[in-house]
Amino acid sequence: MNLRELQVVFACLASRFGAAAVFPLLQQQLDRSVEFSTPVTSFRSLQEGVFLLQNDFPLYSGGVMHHAPLLVALMSTFNSNTLISLLFTCADSAIAYQLIAMAKCFQNLHLPAWVPGALYVINPLVLLSSVSRSTVVFSNLAISTALLSALQGKAVLSAASIAVAAYLSLYPLLLLVPILTLLPKDRFKTVAITFTTLAGLLLSSYKINDENWNYLFSTYGVIITFSKIIPNLGLWWYFFVELFEMFIPFFKAVFNLFIVSCIIPFSLRFHKQPFYAFILCLCWITLTKSYPTLGEGGFLLSFVPFFRPLFGYFRYSVISTLLFIHVSVLSPVFYHLWVDLGSGNSNFFYAISLVYALGLATVLVDLVWAMLRIEYDKGKPNLNLKLTPI
Amino acid sequence: MRALLVLFWAFLVAKAQEVRSSIDEELLIPNETESAGSADETCIAEDSSFGLDSGNSTSNDKEDPVEEELLNEALQKPVFFEKQDAIKYPFAEQLTLKPLPRNYMVASFQFQMASNNLSVGQSETDFDAYRHYTVFPKAISPILEYTNTRQLHLRFTHGLWDSESWGQLPHKGSKSGGNGVELWAVIEADSKEIAFRHWVSLANSLSGLFCSSINFIDSERTTYPVSSFQPQGDGGLPVFNATNGLFLIRAALANEPICTENLTPFLKLLPTRGKSGISSLLDGHKVFDSNWHSMSLDVETTCDGNDCKYHMEELIEIVFNVPNTLARAEKPIPKPVKESDLKCDESKPHDNFECFPLPQSKEIKFRLSELFGKQIVGSSLISESPSQICADVSDNWKAYIDVDNMLFATDNNCFSVKENKLHDLYLESDDTTQVTPPESVPLYVSRSLTGYGQDSGGLRTVFKNPGNESVNAIYFEALPWYMRIYLSSLKIESADGLEIEDVVRGTYYLPAIDRERPTHLEYNLTIPANTTIALSYQFDKALLKYAEYPPDANHGFEIESAVVTVLEPVRYEMRTATLLLSLSTPDFSMPYNVIILTSTVMGLAFGTLFNLMVKRLVPLEEADRQASLRPGLKGKVARMLKAFSLKRKKVDEVKKRQ
Repeated sequence: MNLRELQVVFACLASRFGAAAVFPLLQQQLDRSVEFSTPVTSFRSLQEGVFLLQNDFPLYSGGVMHHAPLLVALMSTFNSNTLISLLFTCADSAIAYQLIAMAKCFQNLHLPAWVPGALYVINPLVLLSSVSRSTVVFSNLAISTALLSALQGKAVLSAASIAVAAYLSLYPLLLLVPILTLLPKDRFKTVAITFTTLAGLLLSSYKINDENWNYLFSTYGVIITFSKIIPNLGLWWYFFVELFEMFIPFFKAVFNLFIVSCIIPFSLRFHKQPFYAFILCLCWITLTKSYPTLGEGGFLLSFVPFFRPLFGYFRYSVISTLLFIHVSVLSPVFYHLWVDLGSGNSNFFYAISLVYALGLATVLVDLVWAMLRIEYDKGKPNLNLKLTPI
Repeated sequence: MRALLVLFWAFLVAKAQEVRSSIDEELLIPNETESAGSADETCIAEDSSFGLDSGNSTSNDKEDPVEEELLNEALQKPVFFEKQDAIKYPFAEQLTLKPLPRNYMVASFQFQMASNNLSVGQSETDFDAYRHYTVFPKAISPILEYTNTRQLHLRFTHGLWDSESWGQLPHKGSKSGGNGVELWAVIEADSKEIAFRHWVSLANSLSGLFCSSINFIDSERTTYPVSSFQPQGDGGLPVFNATNGLFLIRAALANEPICTENLTPFLKLLPTRGKSGISSLLDGHKVFDSNWHSMSLDVETTCDGNDCKYHMEELIEIVFNVPNTLARAEKPIPKPVKESDLKCDESKPHDNFECFPLPQSKEIKFRLSELFGKQIVGSSLISESPSQICADVSDNWKAYIDVDNMLFATDNNCFSVKENKLHDLYLESDDTTQVTPPESVPLYVSRSLTGYGQDSGGLRTVFKNPGNESVNAIYFEALPWYMRIYLSSLKIESADGLEIEDVVRGTYYLPAIDRERPTHLEYNLTIPANTTIALSYQFDKALLKYAEYPPDANHGFEIESAVVTVLEPVRYEMRTATLLLSLSTPDFSMPYNVIILTSTVMGLAFGTLFNLMVKRLVPLEEADRQASLRPGLKGKVARMLKAFSLKRKKVDEVKKRQ
């Protein structure tokens, strides 16, 4: 770890901690914004869980708590606001560090290793998400740990981290499939360790939740059944608000299948470039998951620098950049117009969620296209050749 | 009418004779005892009219002469019931009028009645079960028996009780609910599930009986209060089956409008049916054209050994602004005051165009019939005690009862209505500002919504203890599930630096479940003397599904009032005002657009990726060549396009050369 990399990690620590210290109200403001907080990730809901736990109220008997029991138990050990702030900052800095470490795993990246980390640090989406104390940070950390240790060939750590990520927010369990392509030798071991760890986590949650399984629905059931209808950047919330009651179960199944649909195809098609398969799967999950936040979108965009050799093939880079700018500028405006001022209506914000999905989709399509091109060109980019799929 | 009566009477007698004869002859030969049948036969044989009615009438006509005599005898004794002193039923009624400050007046109608002894442990279908209803309404008791209800409390209230000026609510607040409809009951059942089933059936029955939407009570609105609403009285409640438990269940509908159709069923429950006694004053137009009105119904089961009875109390309470109501009675359509009647303040400039009206005169005299538009029609003759009318007034008021234009007064301003004549009450005062001092309220509570967005907000409740004793109270709140409250955000604001622990002695909290259960919150509070505190917490608002919004979705959702039960220093019950919560609404015209647009984006992403993944990448020229080789129309079109583009290329080259 050289000086520049240390600087990046330190900058990450300083920016997060500094922003939280200088603007103490920013956290609450961001925690209320639909772009950075959802019922399953918001810090307010976590605080409520800690409060309920400390006052011996039943944690999951109601419909307010959607955080994993162990996370609530962990947070209840932190009493001071500064300590909590430090915890989130450290988690975020660890991600920045891991991005740098990942960059070191690639020889032909044509980039200094500190660049992905630095881009992560200055990415405003990630910065704001971290300041809002969204628990997305923890699942992101678990995902990046899994990816890094898989790149380094540490099957045990990778499997355990993916289990933790799955425990925190369910969908990362799907990332086990690309992890298996990353660790071709230890496939059985990885699967076994992942499920053992997950079972251990679930069992210990059962123990600390007064031997009650009711937390399963509140944490994972809510994710699978799309039952907390609250405006967010996902494709589904307006869909389920407007849909006639009798079609809802069918479309819930469709949305769930939609999330699973592309994971195995990506892992199979790009099994020779497992890292890219992993990123594509992550991108697909970010696009289709049930409670997306901009924090996850920002985390995903931090992996784009790793595609440096493919930049020439990107066809929609301008469009996707503009779409992301469009979303990040207009989404708070339109939401404000709808909810606070009442001069706009829900269609405004719905349009933004469509644009966000479109932005992620263009990034994903560009990545796949670029991967196919470099495969066709056998690793030596030939930008003049025009190709078409038939 | 009289002919009909005669017919009916005759028919009854005929029937009675049948039965008697059949019993006498020990159920012998039906042919001979069926007198009506035989009469029919003879009549068909005698005249050729085939109508059933004519047959009946002829059969009855035969008995007419005898019966008519009987009836004439009965009619000659003019008022049948008055002579029979023995027939008196457990029914009492009282009207209390109490002037309030600022020319308001509260009229409180109180009706009490009791049922006959219940046959405990016998079901409706038992062979020897019989029901005899005297003054107790026949509609209520089967509902209570069917649902195993031991106590029933129903409140219809609307308006604002200005406790700072009017003092305590009537009956220490125990008889008035929050705005809308409030229902709570004690139900005997084996388990909570069965109790809930009984509760729903009780709500549905009452809904039909009182013409209101009580049937909208479901699990989403039902709470099981823990320390509020505890049944009062000594000795506890009777349990008819020792293995059962008692369940206290409560729900409120804040958005229920209260109107005439709710009053009529209330009056129909009375033995006087609103036709005589003090209930003859009640008229929907007047009751609901008031500043505050409350109708309550309480049924309690009381047991003395094995004898159990229902006791029912009905109360109708109305607060009028007297001058306004009198003016309304005089001129139903408000018109500007005539110039000659206008009293201007002469110390200020006044002419034809400018006038500062003088304050209302302090003198007032009016009759009850001017307020209610009716007079009291006689007394309730079947009740044990005569109807009472009381005026709770201070010394500078005078109250007289008017019977046949004769005014009578009493020392305690209470009058008994005994005779079957029209009665009226006459009240006059030379200074309306002097009234019996209202009892001071032990605690003022007001609750309001904070925040401006439609996605989140806060609830702030201000408690003000004006007295010199610290107040111990229970604060009960049931909030709908679409308010997701964060109890961790509970904050206290206090000028004396009180902490939450100093005020909140105990908390019962049951979080809401979406579409299943409301948030149920009960605080045990101690508020020190002469202190004002505010408790506040934050909540998120949910987005509902398309069909869950009421027709006027942007009007907002009524949140039922919080209930405060003061335990010490005096027992007092009060409700806060209801709240109007506005939720964000979707665009109700969008269903198909949303399905189409969302599906398009999903299809676009998936389709493009699917295409890229399953197809082969080839250079552009190769793709064109392959397309032109394809047989059929598609190939032809491709070939034509290719030819066209080649031609244009040639033309371009030619042009370039030129």
